[in-house]
Amino acid sequence: MQKKFTQIAAAAVLAGALVATATGVAPASAAKPGIKTGLKIAIMPKAINIGYFTAWNKGAKKACSEIGAKCTYLGPTEATGPAQVRFINKVIQQHYDVLVISAADQNAIVPSLKRAKAAGITIVTSDADVAAASKSARTVAILPSASARIGTAEVDWAAKAAGERGTVAVLSAAATAANQNAWIAAMGPYLTSKYPNMSWVGGTVANSTFYGDDDATKSTQQFDAILTQYPNVAAIISPTTVGVLAAAIEKKAKGASVKVTGLGLPSQMAPYIEDGTVETVGLWNPIDLGYVAVYAAARAKSGSFNGRVGSSFKAGNKSYKVVAGGIAYLGDPFTFTKANIATFKAIY
Amino acid sequence: MKQILQRALRVRELPISVFLVLVVLATGSTNHAFFTLSSLQDVLLGVGIIATLAVAQTLVIVMKHIDLSVGSTIGLTAYILGASSSWGHDIWWGLGVSLSVGLIVGALNGFMVAYLKLPSLVVTLATLYIVRGVFNEIAGGDTITEDRVPRAINFLGLNRFYGIPLIFLIAIALMLLVGFVMRRLRAGRDLYAIGSNLQAAELAGIPVARRIFGAFLATGAISGLAGVLLLARFNAADANSGAGLELNVVAACVVGGVAIAGGVGTVYGAVIGAVLLQTITLALGALGVAQFWQLTVNGILLISAISLDRYLSSRVKATTIMGSSK
Amino acid sequence: MKKFNFAWEHGVVIFLIAVIGIGSNLSPYFATTDNLSFVLQDIGEIAIIALAMTYLIIAGEIDLSVASSLNLASAALGFAFRNGVPFEISILIGLAVGLVCGVINGFLVTVVGLPSLAVTIGTLALFRGLAYALLGNEPVNELPEDWVNLGFTNIPNTFLPWTIIPIAVLGIVAWVILHHTKIGRWTYAIGTNAQAAKFSGIPVARMKFALFAATGLMSGVAGVVYTLRFASASPDGAVGYELNVIAAVLFGGVSIAGGVGALWGVLASVLSLGAIRSALQLADFSANALLIVSGALLLVSVVVPRAIVILKSRRKSVVAKK
Repeated sequence: MQKKFTQIAAAAVLAGALVATATGVAPASAAKPGIKTGLKIAIMPKAINIGYFTAWNKGAKKACSEIGAKCTYLGPTEATGPAQVRFINKVIQQHYDVLVISAADQNAIVPSLKRAKAAGITIVTSDADVAAASKSARTVAILPSASARIGTAEVDWAAKAAGERGTVAVLSAAATAANQNAWIAAMGPYLTSKYPNMSWVGGTVANSTFYGDDDATKSTQQFDAILTQYPNVAAIISPTTVGVLAAAIEKKAKGASVKVTGLGLPSQMAPYIEDGTVETVGLWNPIDLGYVAVYAAARAKSGSFNGRVGSSFKAGNKSYKVVAGGIAYLGDPFTFTKANIATFKAIY
Repeated sequence: MKQILQRALRVRELPISVFLVLVVLATGSTNHAFFTLSSLQDVLLGVGIIATLAVAQTLVIVMKHIDLSVGSTIGLTAYILGASSSWGHDIWWGLGVSLSVGLIVGALNGFMVAYLKLPSLVVTLATLYIVRGVFNEIAGGDTITEDRVPRAINFLGLNRFYGIPLIFLIAIALMLLVGFVMRRLRAGRDLYAIGSNLQAAELAGIPVARRIFGAFLATGAISGLAGVLLLARFNAADANSGAGLELNVVAACVVGGVAIAGGVGTVYGAVIGAVLLQTITLALGALGVAQFWQLTVNGILLISAISLDRYLSSRVKATTIMGSSK
Repeated sequence: MKKFNFAWEHGVVIFLIAVIGIGSNLSPYFATTDNLSFVLQDIGEIAIIALAMTYLIIAGEIDLSVASSLNLASAALGFAFRNGVPFEISILIGLAVGLVCGVINGFLVTVVGLPSLAVTIGTLALFRGLAYALLGNEPVNELPEDWVNLGFTNIPNTFLPWTIIPIAVLGIVAWVILHHTKIGRWTYAIGTNAQAAKFSGIPVARMKFALFAATGLMSGVAGVVYTLRFASASPDGAVGYELNVIAAVLFGGVSIAGGVGALWGVLASVLSLGAIRSALQLADFSANALLIVSGALLLVSVVVPRAIVILKSRRKSVVAKK
């Protein structure tokens, strides 16, 4: 036991000596049944300088230390497919066992992922998946909730805030962002069927969507554009943490009356929920996404889980089932309001 | 009367001013909401930052140089200001550091262009990379949120003076100051001479190296302090702040009549150029044009502006050869 | 015996060798055939466009819209394929679109007479906007597998990626033309002194037009390679690549003032930058480190030649005093 601890400590010291933003974790606890120890796991966000993924990594690191794996957080500074491909190549060359990745581009990284898979690396996508047509490139995808549920939940928050009357617009991320597009598609028919006194500002949801490119500046400008084009819009839904924050800030700055809701990080949105600018936002816990993904990947690598539809695996104390499309969902998003924001803003 | 009209027509800034008015009128008649105070304020708020950077950029473009590093500088200083409270310092420390960062980058650029006589495109491209890289290292995944923004800066961003956003007023004040320097002060006029004909300027005894250095230093300092405006406007900052602004700034200058070939153009034109570009962005939105077309329109606009400028300057040359020169 | 003139290009080659040496020391994975294959693929698009950009900058012009042309060509390819055009024809369409972009630039610069720096900022926006207009917000991703495989696999039984073929072929052609033909000499002449070139009978305007068109065509080729490599055509690809290309060309010894530069210097530069990126990455440096290093290298590429000139003139004056 002593010797093993020294070996592990030595490995930790070596890992720490690497100059990088990579975080070498010193595994310290005993192995879990069905999971090999000492796995070399790469945790790759869309980009390493985005706060949301810092939380995601927190969960991943926790899982890594529980299962005795060596995890490294690495990724590009720009959230594009080609930039991620370079890091996937690095993962292949440095003989990692496992890759947990949030896909910056659902298509561009597929050839590299396939190559990684051919080299024996187990791949799990988390938070953002590859295109449905390419799902064979990864073992399983760990996603927060079904697109439909995320989209409809946001419509519900908007409707509640706006008193179930009026028009609604959407402030999204990049026009090519697959996640957002799927959620928005789910929002479209749901609004008109469930809330007969509400409609989309531009007639259809597609005509009511503005793209802020996950850039604070652009999102702010698009928020203004929505108000200029549709001065009487009742609610704006922003299914992206950058967008909803920018919208809240701008709403407060202009003293506008439009209701703002969407997917927001509680730590960022807390001031605006507390002062009433925003009534409700929601989000899943990115920490959980990272945590569950590592478990899924480690089990898959160890042969105790194969990602097939209908199979299930355990992460921590909870069990997760794989549904159609090779996806395991975490559950419904949390809703943040004045009542519970104080607790959550400290967590992520 | 005819003489006044003729002189007016030769003012470089006239065509784009007219175009600006036309755009506003056309859009407003289609969508009345565009004429509201609120949308005017949107334009002015959005323009304040680009206008400030465009005023600074004019200093170097008239000398036939360019400064591509401004986006990285303004982003970095905006972040530093936002993070200053978390690092245990007050706003004065933040302002001091921002100014220093701007001066250092400006001095670096200025030294290499003025004294080492290196091409400004290459030098400022390099500092763009270096400053952005350093910025990323400092900021990591941190996002500045409103609660970390110093009170005073918050105030600046939110408030207006008789309805005009303070940020825009600062940009105007800067424009007037720099405009005055460039037109009335010897040092300012020298910049035009350097851009028109470098050798003639040297022969005329202008301290060329000192002027070039000074201009880059000023551009750097202004970009550094403009971080205040960026933070004030958006109440947020992160490692991506300011990225890509440099091309927008150059576009605003060019549209405003500050020719890349050097020697002509004023800060007033640069600001009008910035206002025009921002107005068009909002106008397209107000007219219901799909966002996809915005980039295309901006591109066409820029090309048209340059073409028009070229056409006009060839006409002006004709008049000054035949008529009296100004 | 001919005196060996030490030119910047030689320095770049030495630099490349040094990078390979340091890289091998920093990581055992660096000096492997696998890595060579990755690096060659990584620099593919940049290398192809750099070939044409070299000519352009030597001739005293510049084109900031190359990344947007690449992207538009890729978008056109995807758009055609999505609408049922056979893949091979779609590729030709992509190439044609790239060429058209170059022609537009050439027209605006040589016929309308606009400064290339400013006008290509405009076309940068224009071409990218058109890519969005073509594809909307839906990337095209179901491309024929055989073609996609060419984008990221190696030639059987070798470690060389398929994408090396366009680079090698175009590279050789570009090198021969630049250094051994009339067109190449004309390019240098125009860059050194356009007026003098015109007076000595060189069709300056037509040459520049052709160079812009060629740059557009190369962007189109790079666009096709990009589409295959990433198995998709998306409206937001290759953002910012133009600065990478320009940095590589400048670091390769081509002077922004025109009239100076050699093609093999540019190729060595592109390889070095790819190698450095790989070395830093395998040694676990962060992506930020690469940004800073790129900037520093760019500075070095202009400071060092200048420093040498200054030192030489000082020596001369010292010698003269004696």
